Amino acid sequence: MAFFDTGVQAEPGSFRDPGNRVFHRHGEVLRGLDERSARDWRALAAADFFRDLLAAGKVCGTEELTPAPVDLPWAAVLRHERIPFVSHPYEWTYGMLRDAALLHLDVLRMALADGFTTKDGSAYNLQWRGATPVFIDVGSFEPARDGEPWAGYRQFCQTLLYPMLLQAHLGVDFQPWLRARIDGIEPDQIRRLFGGTRRWRPGVLTHVHLHGAMQARNARASTADVRAQLRAAGYSRELALATVRGLEKLVRRLDHRPGESYWSDYQRTCAYSVPDRQAKEEFVDRAATATAPGLVLDLGANDGRYARIAARQAGYVVAVEQDAAVADALYRALRAAGEQRVLPLVMDLADPSPGGGWRGVERAAFGDRARADLVLALAVVHHLAIGRNVPLAEVLDQFVALTAPGGSLVVEFVHPEDPMARRLLANKPDGLFPDYRREAFEPLLAARGRIVRQAELPSGTRTLYQVVVHG
Amino acid sequence: MTHLAYLDAGSGSLIVQAVVGGVAGAAVAAKLYWRRLVARFRRQPTDRS
Ligand SMILES: C[S@@+](CC[C@H](N)C(=O)[O-])C[C@H]1O[C@@H](n2cnc3c(N)ncnc32)[C@H](O)[C@@H]1O
Repeated sequence: MAFFDTGVQAEPGSFRDPGNRVFHRHGEVLRGLDERSARDWRALAAADFFRDLLAAGKVCGTEELTPAPVDLPWAAVLRHERIPFVSHPYEWTYGMLRDAALLHLDVLRMALADGFTTKDGSAYNLQWRGATPVFIDVGSFEPARDGEPWAGYRQFCQTLLYPMLLQAHLGVDFQPWLRARIDGIEPDQIRRLFGGTRRWRPGVLTHVHLHGAMQARNARASTADVRAQLRAAGYSRELALATVRGLEKLVRRLDHRPGESYWSDYQRTCAYSVPDRQAKEEFVDRAATATAPGLVLDLGANDGRYARIAARQAGYVVAVEQDAAVADALYRALRAAGEQRVLPLVMDLADPSPGGGWRGVERAAFGDRARADLVLALAVVHHLAIGRNVPLAEVLDQFVALTAPGGSLVVEFVHPEDPMARRLLANKPDGLFPDYRREAFEPLLAARGRIVRQAELPSGTRTLYQVVVHG
Repeated sequence: MTHLAYLDAGSGSLIVQAVVGGVAGAAVAAKLYWRRLVARFRRQPTDRS
């Protein structure tokens, strides 16, 4: 779309529904609506269920710009609350995916009861305020037409339900599947994993096998014909509601908890002495207080101890952890505490989320979303430099790339003599990392910013640095 | 006029929702299939002529 000097930046992830599109202007998140979507919006804005959802914070804050900006080619323009950090479902933990699914169904059930529905059912309709899910796709609501099943059911299965079935029934991590396929997992693919007695697991026979078979048999029937046939056969709104309730019941049953992993008990079993931990907490607290950061990234966050300390002084903290079980435990703890400013994400720093979807920009790469005022990289350098063989200079380049110009990086260097570093080094040939030394690390740091503070931990084998990154 | 959505809901995905909707839903699905069957028999003689 051609805009002239209107300061409009189209949101690359919003084009699938031509009737309404999200764009950015002057730092605001706006949504343009065509005539029909504008009519739907006005009906929605007057609906009780929508007001309730907004009041409960379940739908992202939305208001109409009045009068509509004349320089924009839309019948109406909405302004949305800004989601502090956009994340993708393949960066979520199992508990997050499940809670997102439950919120979607909750929103849909309330809409149906009030004569509305959602046009789609995708996991991408949801985002987070910390550990609280939010339904963001306000453009998805439209008045329901009697006698029609939910148009979003297929998407719901592909992007929410099937990934949950994979994890809950088979113990297979769902994230790589969602990351690889923007439209989620097709019934025809997942049904192959649920043969034999597995077909009797909750939800599998109907939502996977029957669904797949029906798709194959009706591949040539148009959805318009099928809708008319269903209406004629007596499909009702009560049935649509029953389906949603059935899905809710199923999702609640899929309460899988990942088993203990290597990192689960880290804070209790780790090599830190209490004085080490106290010194580290104090260092992080001072860095956060001094920088009063808008956005903090905690890389290798584990149980989120330092993320939470930073959150006391920060606008928002994104806690990145590669271990899905650890991140899920963190999510559940944050959720239980009603935390709205710490977002846990599952991601391997050595393999961060690439761009995805159309042209590789429909889903922004992690590196394009993360520009933090404060980056914490505590006890994680050795995992990347020794565990993953990434050259030290590149480890630091990556941390700096995630830091806003002028922002701060707090990084812990675990000396090669430290028991944890020794354990990692023991798995590699002797002498493979001659540069993994403090004397090599410090100049690399100094080349990328100004070291403003430095502290030796009492154990004597770890050093903390705060670096103000060159602008 | 039938109103079409921007998203292809999938014909099979629409029908299966009737089937999962308990007894009442199954009845709707059965009715739909029955009507299709009847329609096919009615059509056949004329199709051949
Ligand atoms: C030694 S712990 C440090 C935890 C916390 N930052 C602290 O200082 O107490 C390292 C953590 O980083 C995580 N980690 C290791 N390699 C990682 C990677 N490539 N990407 C993301 N997290 C990683 C581990 O799962 C573990 O939870």
